[in-house]
Amino acid sequence: MFSHIYYYRMKCILRDKQMIFWTLLFPIILATLFNMAFSNLSSLENFERIKIGIVNNVEYKMNTDFIKALESVSNSDKSAGKDSLFEINYSTKEDADKLLSDNKIAGYIYFDQGIKLAVKESGLNQTIIKGFLDDFKQTSSTIVTIIHQNPAAVQNGLLDSVSNRTDYMKEVAASQSAPDTTVNYFYALIAMACLYGSFWGLKEVVAIQANLSPQGARVSIAPTHKLKVFLTSVLAATTVQLFEILVLLAYLILILKIDFGNQLGLIALTCVVGTITGVTFGTCVASISRQGEGAKVGILFSLTMIMSFMSGMMFDKMKYIINSNVPILGYLNPANLITDSFYALYFYSNHYQYYKDISILGIFIIGFSLITYLVLRRQKYASL
Amino acid sequence: MQVYKAFFKVIKKNLFQISIYIIIFLFFAVLLTNANTNPTSANFSESKINVAIINQDSDSKLINGLKSFLGRNANFIEVPNDTQKLQDALFFRQVEYIVKVPNGFTDGLLNGKAVQLEKTILPGSTSGIFIDSIINKYLDTAEMYAQNMNSLSEEQIVNYVNTDLAQKTEVQLNNSITNTSINSKVNLYFNFMSYSLFAILILGVCSVMVVFNNSDLKKRNLSSPLKLGSYNFQMILGNISYAVLAWFIMIIASFIMYQGYMFTAKGLLFLLNSFILTLAALSISYLLGNVLKSNGAMSAAANVFALGTSFISGVFVPQIFLGKNVLTIASFTPAYWYVKSNNLIADLVNYNSENLVPIFSNMLIVIGFAVAVFAVTLVVIKQRRLSY
Repeated sequence: MFSHIYYYRMKCILRDKQMIFWTLLFPIILATLFNMAFSNLSSLENFERIKIGIVNNVEYKMNTDFIKALESVSNSDKSAGKDSLFEINYSTKEDADKLLSDNKIAGYIYFDQGIKLAVKESGLNQTIIKGFLDDFKQTSSTIVTIIHQNPAAVQNGLLDSVSNRTDYMKEVAASQSAPDTTVNYFYALIAMACLYGSFWGLKEVVAIQANLSPQGARVSIAPTHKLKVFLTSVLAATTVQLFEILVLLAYLILILKIDFGNQLGLIALTCVVGTITGVTFGTCVASISRQGEGAKVGILFSLTMIMSFMSGMMFDKMKYIINSNVPILGYLNPANLITDSFYALYFYSNHYQYYKDISILGIFIIGFSLITYLVLRRQKYASL
Repeated sequence: MQVYKAFFKVIKKNLFQISIYIIIFLFFAVLLTNANTNPTSANFSESKINVAIINQDSDSKLINGLKSFLGRNANFIEVPNDTQKLQDALFFRQVEYIVKVPNGFTDGLLNGKAVQLEKTILPGSTSGIFIDSIINKYLDTAEMYAQNMNSLSEEQIVNYVNTDLAQKTEVQLNNSITNTSINSKVNLYFNFMSYSLFAILILGVCSVMVVFNNSDLKKRNLSSPLKLGSYNFQMILGNISYAVLAWFIMIIASFIMYQGYMFTAKGLLFLLNSFILTLAALSISYLLGNVLKSNGAMSAAANVFALGTSFISGVFVPQIFLGKNVLTIASFTPAYWYVKSNNLIADLVNYNSENLVPIFSNMLIVIGFAVAVFAVTLVVIKQRRLSY
């Protein structure tokens, strides 16, 4: 009997083309669009040599110290790679002005009774150029002060300590994975796809309730135990949904090359738990609400969208804003828990947060199932 | 005008679904005006990076001096010293640079030992290089004093360093563009309008066409005494008035928020551009309405088309951030040309032919889309009619 129900529910589900589109194709299309739109985003933060202009007038050529300092940070030699800040364009002031207004350079340096900088807008690159010029002035001031106070310092290698700068910073990586914000969009997308599984849960509830569908009426008069029918059909729904999620995951990892870290077993576990959460969420909402099927779909759809939004699917910082200000809201949101599980696997070095997320999802599953059971059990229909 | 009335009756039935997209749009539009953009001032202002400092050393004068020097180019963000909290803050760019000052750092530095600070940054980022240079500058200067001038107290060193580091370079700001922030707000507003306009027009027009193209209903209508010409005329009128109405509702918010700006040449160009996009969107909706057969397919098409074109043509992510291949694909959609001319309009300073021709030629391309798609639709309708 089990295999019979399972087989036919499976057929029913697979023939629902519209729902297959929303639960399988739509997430894949959205993932493709995310990938097209975001693939360039993370490289924007990377440093690129800043293009600057220099007005090579007489005063500039006199200033050999400055020329030396500038050379040390604009060496195009690859071996000096790390120190290379600027790409320099020497010209007259008129040409520099033109380059600046055409956005060809971030700013230009000119000498007019001292070092001056001309820029078009305030920005990080402009600030870095200014920082370099400030540095030059400040170092000169330091040397003057020291020589003034302690003339012997020159013999003791003062000028060497100017050119031999110490790097005081030791880099400690935040994590074994790169802090690439865009992956969070894809994690939230899987969470959304998991919660779309609620549409299958809804379909099963509708198919078993006599007041909602003719099948429900027919099933109700069959001698089979209702719980058995329901559990079997939910299992069929979960099977299909899980398959869809795994297809989505494979698409993300193999074709779009999204980085999930390398703990494949736990990633798969998250998908299974997420899928069951989604389906039971659907059965729960569908059994509580008294509206017709269309309205139930509407409710599920808007709840899923709100939860996905709060886990950062439309705006990545949303997840952080909620988790650091109202953490409880994050824990009450299954979409956020699924997203957070993937994120914890990707970015954290221990599994504490991951197991916390998965356990709370487990509590959600039990809660949703219990509510569904209590509402659906022993429903009787009056004789007409 | 029976047909015309029936058109809007069907729209009314679907008003809930359509109004969702209008609400999303208005929500976004209001969000935009309240978003705090950096005011563009006449003076050069240095960029600031969000930095978290975790001081495990004593509260020494040197560390405090470093903090106040760094404060010129950093917003200090309080993050609890907890690995996961710090990781979260970095991942979501709450901070871009985390410095840990280890115990005994000050003493070590002043006594010439090799000491280091721990930094956690976005690898290879500009902000990382920038803050590195600032911290190194301060500590280098302090070390130079400590090494080259004997018997200076910590306080004296900090004083010398502060005096040196107060030296600044004069910056001249060649700024010709005024009102940058309102320009970019209006630009975003009209860019986002493309998404909502497509969704609203596809949903509305398709929901009507799906009803009228129902083959039984169609046969009934064709056998009525109403002239086919009059029937078609009313349908076209219905479509156009629906599109204009939708466009009008969407631009109302811009008049409320940007007021006088909308009546300047720029504002009018934005309006003209969006109206032309409305025509293209209408023509695409009309095609989809004649191809699609069910309400389910319709909402799928509306979502995929509206989201898809918006993602690739720079509505959600600005065009300069998109890859070249993506933009090549996007150039086959009218939204790409629409967004492109919006961006040009926003940057417009001199109203000469050199700057205006690209904008108008983009508009012509969008009109071209409208005409081409409409022609295809006519062919589809013709074939459909012959196949009854």
